[in-house]
Amino acid sequence: MEPVVKFDNITKSYGSHVAVQNLNLAIERGKFVTLLGPSGCGKSTSLRMLGGFETPTSGRIMLGGKDVTRVPPNKRNVNIVFQDYALFPHMSVAKNIAFGLELKGHDRQHIHRRVSELLELVQLQDYSARLPSELSGGQRQRVALMRALAPDPEVLLLDEPLSALDAKLRQQMQIELKSIQEKTGKTFIFVTHDQEEALTMSDTIVVMNKGRIEQMGDPDTLYGKPGSVFVANFIGETNLLRSTMVGTEGDVVTLDWNGITIKADQGGLAPKVGGHLYVVLRPEAIHCSAAEPTSGNRIKGKIRQRVFKGNHTSLMIEVGGGATLNALVHPSDVGQLNGEDVWVGWKPETATVIPDRHAHN
Amino acid sequence: MRYMFADAPRATLTACYWAFLLYLLLPLTLMMAMSFKDANFIAFPIGEWTLDWYVKVMQDKQFLEACLYSIMIAAAATVSATVLGTWIAMLIVAEGIRGRVVIFALACLPAVVPGMISAISLRIFVSAIDMPTGTAAIILGHTVHAVPFVVVMALTRLRTMPGNLVDAARDLGADSVVAFFRVTLPYLGPALFGGMIFCVLLSIDDFVRTFFLGGYRPTLPMLIFAKVQGGMSPEINAMATLVLVVTAAVGLYAEFMTRRARTR
Ligand SMILES: Nc1ncnc2c1ncn2[C@@H]1O[C@H](COP(=O)(O)OP(=O)(O)OP(=O)(O)O)[C@@H](O)[C@H]1O
Ligand SMILES: [Mg+2]
Repeated sequence: MEPVVKFDNITKSYGSHVAVQNLNLAIERGKFVTLLGPSGCGKSTSLRMLGGFETPTSGRIMLGGKDVTRVPPNKRNVNIVFQDYALFPHMSVAKNIAFGLELKGHDRQHIHRRVSELLELVQLQDYSARLPSELSGGQRQRVALMRALAPDPEVLLLDEPLSALDAKLRQQMQIELKSIQEKTGKTFIFVTHDQEEALTMSDTIVVMNKGRIEQMGDPDTLYGKPGSVFVANFIGETNLLRSTMVGTEGDVVTLDWNGITIKADQGGLAPKVGGHLYVVLRPEAIHCSAAEPTSGNRIKGKIRQRVFKGNHTSLMIEVGGGATLNALVHPSDVGQLNGEDVWVGWKPETATVIPDRHAHN
Repeated sequence: MRYMFADAPRATLTACYWAFLLYLLLPLTLMMAMSFKDANFIAFPIGEWTLDWYVKVMQDKQFLEACLYSIMIAAAATVSATVLGTWIAMLIVAEGIRGRVVIFALACLPAVVPGMISAISLRIFVSAIDMPTGTAAIILGHTVHAVPFVVVMALTRLRTMPGNLVDAARDLGADSVVAFFRVTLPYLGPALFGGMIFCVLLSIDDFVRTFFLGGYRPTLPMLIFAKVQGGMSPEINAMATLVLVVTAAVGLYAEFMTRRARTR
């Protein structure tokens, strides 16, 4: 199927500063796609270029198969939900939502029907006559969303729309957003620097770093098989074990980590013996026990710190040579770990390896 | 003792305030009081009270005509000053404009140039372009004088406007004209309303520019001036009292309205 949005080698610079560099990205229709990355990596710039508020320095943007690189925002079939909502303060909720419909030249009856339909979708029927200043943050958020959806855009763009909400409401809105996306079947492009938010909602996550795409994939892949140290660090908590290659047995590689021999999944890489690699080991993949595990990787260590986090306990374990590992332990397993001594174990296939870009291997 | 002196600065302030109020209100009160006096001379004691002077004023064709004329000029000057002032303010906040400081300084100049100088230069300008003195010239003069106030009020409001309101409007399909009329202008509304009332009052009150630019038809201040030169009479007091009451009411109403809009 033809992608609904295509960034074709897009570069955007402000003077000598390059905000987005050679961006190539194709987005499938009906998907919830998240641009994720640290502050200043060019997420908003990319979104604004798609909205028509910035012109790329070079490259092409395709929307629904048409080149829209130089089309002004009012002639593009995309709508934005702004971070601070940008609701028109002098218009009622209903008027705000009707704004885009009126400009499209729909008749009154149609507008009225569509507005009530959308208000119903977010349970704001009783608020249609209120001014934005008379709404709560979450309600404003919903109105902004409905205003952007009203003209039936091909793609909906959302620039950190949840960042102004408190944690509880944010979680609730994440679920609501996702369900609205599923109900309407629209393509959503969502910008955030919150990895948890990205993992919760997205079909596809595009991890950006310094104006480039670092990795793109579904949440499972990005979490389970990060392609770079940056992605591994940015998404979720992780133990990164810098190791040296010792040998290969089928799909499993044998590595040396600080003098400890460990095994890991080869992960499509074909490293040379003596080369350097990182092993990505998620804290929840580690199994801690008082007795030595019978199979898989196992290291004896000492518990240096315990942090109780409600539904689990986070342990910092020293495993010799000054190296430490973070592990998550289920409450039912904490009971058997009384003293300092502990066995750390994990199955080779739950850890993945990524190349060390800075080393010559 | 110590407590008495501790209160001294406050007491002084209060005293100053009352002295100021007295100084401000006494002449006005005298003027109003005399307008009700049943005699031809402006002096105490008042003796008999009457409303005759008001009846006379209301039947004075000259006065009514001058009122109408002043209102017409004020309306025309206000409309043109508002359009021009808003335009200039939009230009100053627009993206990619060079020399916005210069534009702002030039726009504000007419507010700080002494009335006399402004009047003379306008007169010279008007005759230089062969424009006859009279209605059009007065409107021009009043407009120039009022523009800075509109610019400042519009700018203050524009600076508090979230930048992405216009972006949102454009995103939803508005071109820049529609975005201006449907989003920016309503947002400016309260500020412009205040600015317009101010323009009206400035124009009605203006004497110097009108005097230099005017033709034979007198505006309200010119009529009162002419009448005063013909000798004081309580009729003038009645006229002045009427003008005072109406302008004060308009000013207070405007203040009330803008305040209400701002708290929303
Ligand atoms: N108008 C501009 N002029 C100059 N530099 C800009 C402009 N807009 C953005 N930049 C720069 O481009 C880079 C990318 O900015 P962008 O707003 O896209 O970041 P972002 O990923 O959205 O970050 P955040 O998460 O903080 O919103 C930043 O380094 C920023 O300083
Ligand atoms: Mg941003």
